[in-house]
Amino acid sequence: MKVEDKLALNKFEVDREVHIRVDEQICDRCEPKDCLYVCPAECYVIRDGHVTFSYEGCLECGSCRFSCDRGAITWVNPRGGFGICYQYG
Amino acid sequence: MEIIVCIKPVLDPDMPPAKFSVDSKTNRVIPPEGMPLVINPYDALAVEAALKIKEAKGGKITAVTLAGSFATEILRKAVAMGADEAININDPAFEDSDTFSTAFILAEVVKKIGKYDLVLCGRQAADWDNGVVGSVIAEYLNIPSVIRAKGIVVTNGKLRVERVVANGFEIYEMGLPAVVTLSSEMGQARIPTGWGIINAVKKKIPVWTCSDLGLDPVRVGKTAARNSLVKLYTFSPSRSCEMITGKDDKEAAGKLAEKIMDIKP
Amino acid sequence: MENFDAIVVGAGPAGCAAAYTMAKAGLNVLVLERGKYAGAKNTWGGALFGSAMNEVFPEFWKEAPVERSVSRHAISFLTKDACLSVDYKDSHSDGSSTPGFIILRAKFDQWMAGKVEKAGAIIAAGLEVDDFIREGKAIRGVKVGGEEFPANVVILADGVNSLLAVKAGLRGEFKAKDLKQGVKEVLRLPREVIEDRFNLRGTDGAVMEFVGHCTLGLPGGGFIYTNLDSLSVGVVVQLSALLEKRVKASELLEEFKAHPAVQSLIRGGELLEYSAHLIPVSGISMMPKLFADGIMITGDAAAMVLGTGLILEGANFAVAAGVAAGNAAIRAREKNDYSSAALQSYEQALKDTFVLKDLNTFREAPHFLENERIYNAYPQWACDLMSRIFCSNGKPRKNTFQVVRESMKGRFNIMQLFSDFMRARRAM
Ligand SMILES: Cc1cc2nc3c(=O)[nH]c(=O)nc-3n(C[C@H](O)[C@H](O)[C@H](O)COP(=O)(O)OP(=O)(O)OC[C@H]3O[C@@H](n4cnc5c(N)ncnc54)[C@H](O)[C@@H]3O)c2cc1C
Ligand SMILES: Cc1cc2nc3c(=O)[nH]c(=O)nc-3n(C[C@H](O)[C@H](O)[C@H](O)COP(=O)(O)OP(=O)(O)OC[C@H]3O[C@@H](n4cnc5c(N)ncnc54)[C@H](O)[C@@H]3O)c2cc1C
Ligand code: SF4
Ligand code: SF4
Repeated sequence: MKVEDKLALNKFEVDREVHIRVDEQICDRCEPKDCLYVCPAECYVIRDGHVTFSYEGCLECGSCRFSCDRGAITWVNPRGGFGICYQYG
Repeated sequence: MEIIVCIKPVLDPDMPPAKFSVDSKTNRVIPPEGMPLVINPYDALAVEAALKIKEAKGGKITAVTLAGSFATEILRKAVAMGADEAININDPAFEDSDTFSTAFILAEVVKKIGKYDLVLCGRQAADWDNGVVGSVIAEYLNIPSVIRAKGIVVTNGKLRVERVVANGFEIYEMGLPAVVTLSSEMGQARIPTGWGIINAVKKKIPVWTCSDLGLDPVRVGKTAARNSLVKLYTFSPSRSCEMITGKDDKEAAGKLAEKIMDIKP
Repeated sequence: MENFDAIVVGAGPAGCAAAYTMAKAGLNVLVLERGKYAGAKNTWGGALFGSAMNEVFPEFWKEAPVERSVSRHAISFLTKDACLSVDYKDSHSDGSSTPGFIILRAKFDQWMAGKVEKAGAIIAAGLEVDDFIREGKAIRGVKVGGEEFPANVVILADGVNSLLAVKAGLRGEFKAKDLKQGVKEVLRLPREVIEDRFNLRGTDGAVMEFVGHCTLGLPGGGFIYTNLDSLSVGVVVQLSALLEKRVKASELLEEFKAHPAVQSLIRGGELLEYSAHLIPVSGISMMPKLFADGIMITGDAAAMVLGTGLILEGANFAVAAGVAAGNAAIRAREKNDYSSAALQSYEQALKDTFVLKDLNTFREAPHFLENERIYNAYPQWACDLMSRIFCSNGKPRKNTFQVVRESMKGRFNIMQLFSDFMRARRAM
């Protein structure tokens, strides 16, 4: 089962506001691209040779924020009430 | 302006589809575990419309809900948005009320509240999508009603309502009191403020029972139901995929067009 | 505007324990939780051990949504194909000790929040605190999207990702080497199947930890917890190791689930939910300043987690620390002094309880647990040894000591083993 399919079973309260911002210009100059390995929701993917980030499936674990040492990621929580809503946890 | 808003708790329309299941034996929806019911999105718009009118004209907003579980949470949401009062209509006798008895009970609630200029509802409950309750309340109260409103303005004691129709909207003017049901074209409901949420948590929400309303239990609940649910099942659409090819793009596109024209509605 | 005696940020175990303690003492308490409801953002292994919760909510298991009580605890070493387990069973029938309880957080946290509300505190969910009200250096309340909520004291119980701890100047950002990432699936299985497969009676439950191949030898482990009619299955891996080795925890989880020893336990399980969360694991060495003028910090936000390798205990510590912070706020109110000097009693109380005592006792454990031999060479060796002892290849058998010696060959030497053993003794 792909991560994407697993996420489809989770309940998200998707906000129109993006909570994590990634400076993709910094990413273009980044060799290790650590973020690709740490995100359990695979929010960071390579598309056409560039790192692209989508916030919708974010589980708000915080891993990416401790993993990018180039300052490309501006990480905050989603607004109150939005984002992942675990039923079991 | 005294405004009464009828709100209903529904299954979260944003829940993952895989969580939805029905018990076809008992004809009931199986509530998904750990998933709280939410305010019917159209009803949140009704609260929003009420707040806009109150901001312009002053007055008082009372939210009422008729439901077994989650009534308090849903009413708190309306208070958090800015409703002044909330009433939880709850009695075992009301169980299994259908659309008509629900409207009957709600009309009695409106009468008991007594002072009102406007009753607002959602255009339909997002679970069964019946869209009946608002109009039937108006019938019982014997006052005018407009359904599927996208905007309401009160001027000189008169109501001006924009009603959504297939290819645009119509404008109605009428006297008060009246019933209006709100549609999604109205816009977005506000997100409660922090202090709004705190006020809502502190709010005492009274419960009105069948006897508080002075209702004969035979006129409500299952015994009074006029419609019955015959069969409840989940619809699983069948899908098939056919690749259309041709010697070039043009031929393939032509074949595709023919296929589409052949599809019978 | 109303001024609260105390504002608690976060309705997890730490925040709820603090708020409950204060509300019962008559303080005017506001709890702000960013989840749509308490528990919405929280996931864990998980079983609750220890007595702290019982001291706050006596006999909570009789009323709270607990899944099962732990009667079976197994630790297994995994290689690619083999599994060696130590299996410990205790029915707790003599009542001398309370068992651990297996819990799903989304349900349990809502229950805790309900208790806190009944005790008189206000739980306001759906609100994310993003800043403080300050008066000079002192903190005098919090802000949510520009709205202000004044209070005499703020208790941060906002978990491992606490942006507020950094903003308040209590600590810098945590580092990847001090964090582990947990990914978990909840798999639905019928009750009877679980009880059969795990050899359980009634609401007895099993906690199973795995070391070795499940993390491909990286520091961490795998786990299975039996809920009432589902299983919690996951892996926990050091975040910095994921970066170094360039593997994804989600892939490790798939491999773990496919291991023959694991597959046989979880087969047929239907996925209900996929979750992920971080754990601060370096104990004392990553702990922040615990208080300042008008503020205290507690639970995961302050890295109060004990990971000795065999167990991961955070909730118990969070609850005890929350109570200590709550009590400090009560004393501060009696003296009407919320300065850093007055709140010092919080740290003192932690020193007097198991919270700082245990974290001190086990302060070497995190360092010891970085040793990769634990996850690689030793599980390999242990399983290989078993295979040599149990497999009959037709030749005359060697004596066991000889087998042990041979099995160690090329993996590690006796000095490494001895030194790891001594370090383990010190760390545990
Ligand atoms: C004890 C009890 C248990 C119930 N259990 C269920 C249940 O399991 N499932 C279920 O669908 N319904 C339940 N109801 C509610 C009731 O059966 C329905 O509300 C009724 O059938 C009308 O819904 P509808 O979908 O036809 O409304 P629609 O005609 O589609 O609703 C239009 C509008 O009417 C208003 N409205 C409708 N219903 C209510 C209400 N109950 N309270 C306040 N305003 C309302 C809203 O503004 C709504 O937008 C229960 C009621 C009680 C008292
Ligand atoms: C995979 C995994 C397995 C674990 N297994 C176990 C186990 O078996 N046993 C055990 O004892 N411990 C275990 N733990 C550790 C345990 O979960 C934590 O130690 C414990 O939850 C800490 O409690 P807390 O109250 O400090 O923080 P949390 O439980 O993280 O609660 C913090 C709360 O604050 C809220 N919050 C955060 N920021 C804000 C904000 N800005 N505004 C408002 N609210 C905010 C969050 O939504 C959350 O509800 C495990 C952890 C993980 C990740
Ligand atoms: S987010 Fe950071 S780690 Fe990822 S590609 Fe960009 S710069 Fe590199
Ligand atoms: S917070 Fe976690 S889930 Fe969200 S993008 Fe970062 S790593 Fe992925």
